[in-house]
Amino acid sequence: MSFRVVVDLELCGGHGVCEGAAPEIFRVVDQMDGYAHVEVILERPPEELREQAEAAERQCPNRVIRIVED
Amino acid sequence: VSTDFDAIDFFRAGPLYQNPYPYYEYLRGHGPVWREPHHGVVMVTGYEEAVEVYHDTERFSNCVAVAGPFAKWPVPLEGDDISPIIEQYRDDLPFSDQLPTFDPPKHTAHRALLGRLITPKRLKENEEFMWTLADRHVDEFIDLGECEFIRDYAGPFTLLVIADLLGVPESEHETFRKELQVEHRPKQSRAKDGPVAHKPLEFLYQRFTNYIEERRREPQDDVMTGLATATFPDGSLPEAHDIMLIASNLFAAGQETTARLLGVMFQLIGERPDLQQQLRHERNRLPPFIEECLRLETPLQTTFRLARRPTTLGGVEIPAGTTLMLIPAAANRDPRKFDDPNEFRLDRPNWRQHLAFGSGVHACAGAPLARAEARVSAERLLDRMADIKISEEAHGPAGARRYEYPATYMLRGLERLHLEFTRIA
Repeated sequence: MSFRVVVDLELCGGHGVCEGAAPEIFRVVDQMDGYAHVEVILERPPEELREQAEAAERQCPNRVIRIVED
Repeated sequence: VSTDFDAIDFFRAGPLYQNPYPYYEYLRGHGPVWREPHHGVVMVTGYEEAVEVYHDTERFSNCVAVAGPFAKWPVPLEGDDISPIIEQYRDDLPFSDQLPTFDPPKHTAHRALLGRLITPKRLKENEEFMWTLADRHVDEFIDLGECEFIRDYAGPFTLLVIADLLGVPESEHETFRKELQVEHRPKQSRAKDGPVAHKPLEFLYQRFTNYIEERRREPQDDVMTGLATATFPDGSLPEAHDIMLIASNLFAAGQETTARLLGVMFQLIGERPDLQQQLRHERNRLPPFIEECLRLETPLQTTFRLARRPTTLGGVEIPAGTTLMLIPAAANRDPRKFDDPNEFRLDRPNWRQHLAFGSGVHACAGAPLARAEARVSAERLLDRMADIKISEEAHGPAGARRYEYPATYMLRGLERLHLEFTRIA
């Protein structure tokens, strides 16, 4: 079993809660236009990061993170 | 300082709120989690411990998020799981119709409605209005060479930005400004026995109920129609009442807090000519500047949770029914998280990680809105005003300034900020 991390950038508020929960998977960046949003830096994380990824999914204020099983 | 903090009941501590930080350090001296003796409230000043609570909506309920220890329960909060008592009586608690006091799954559905209002796309449209509005307010006082920044700029600006975001027609902005602007209320009316009375939101309730019912009868091509026809994640249509509450909550939660943030920013710009100069020339420093202001003078200083079950936090036993006070304003100065926590620094590696907007599912939905308002205001005012200074006549000379803060433990920020400046041609 492996999994992917998907973010809906249309609704991302750039809060950065996911970065706190799973810093190896998510990074908050500033757009040139001044709005922070998150970037997935590890789209297919190894199994040992699953717990962190799930925490990020659960804690996202805008509920825009999904974990997709492959 | 030999203030006897042991004798102080923090929830009725009037003058202490003018500078609560020494008291927070007294709390921290007892550990990151400590039960204060006057009300038995567990005070959380630690960063990690606060995040643990923010992220656990199963152990900790938000039903007392605003009322805190002043919530009145008709039965004792006893047992191994007080969830049934919470569900039976939560609707009778103050602010029970406001989103911050909801728990999942109700919170999840209503928070999603709000998330659909504040999308990056909508924010960018709203930002165009912010630039125009900022100029309009500056025009009102630019020739005077001085202003009372809170009343003349921060208050009306933050109010009308939210009105525009929600699609209130511009023809009604003046009415909103008159009805809603927080003038200098008598201090006692705010926090005598804690903020337990329902706020007078009737104006907003009535306006938005009308707007929503109108748009549902006759949809138009506007933001308000989008608001009126927004659905819950499961596709169902909310009651007009629920939408109205979300809209009102944006004003209640987002206006005064953001106005206070703007006050902190321009106080610092006025106090520190070196910093003002740096920001003028290095506009890319504005985001860390704004975040550092949020960290050091967190507008929403405190929030509450209620323990559903017996648990432990930071090694402290927490019986079911315990009220916890999270103090993001203190967690943001936790030396385990931030080096030299009381120092203003533009170069912190972890400058985004403060808790001014909370964390987890209850994190402030308006955070990107507040950040945009702060950035646009700083850009525009630095463009148009040179040599921004604190008025000595109003606040006293450097080194002996007089600033006044609200008489409440929840909110921090200047009541008034008199600035002097030179017009940039």
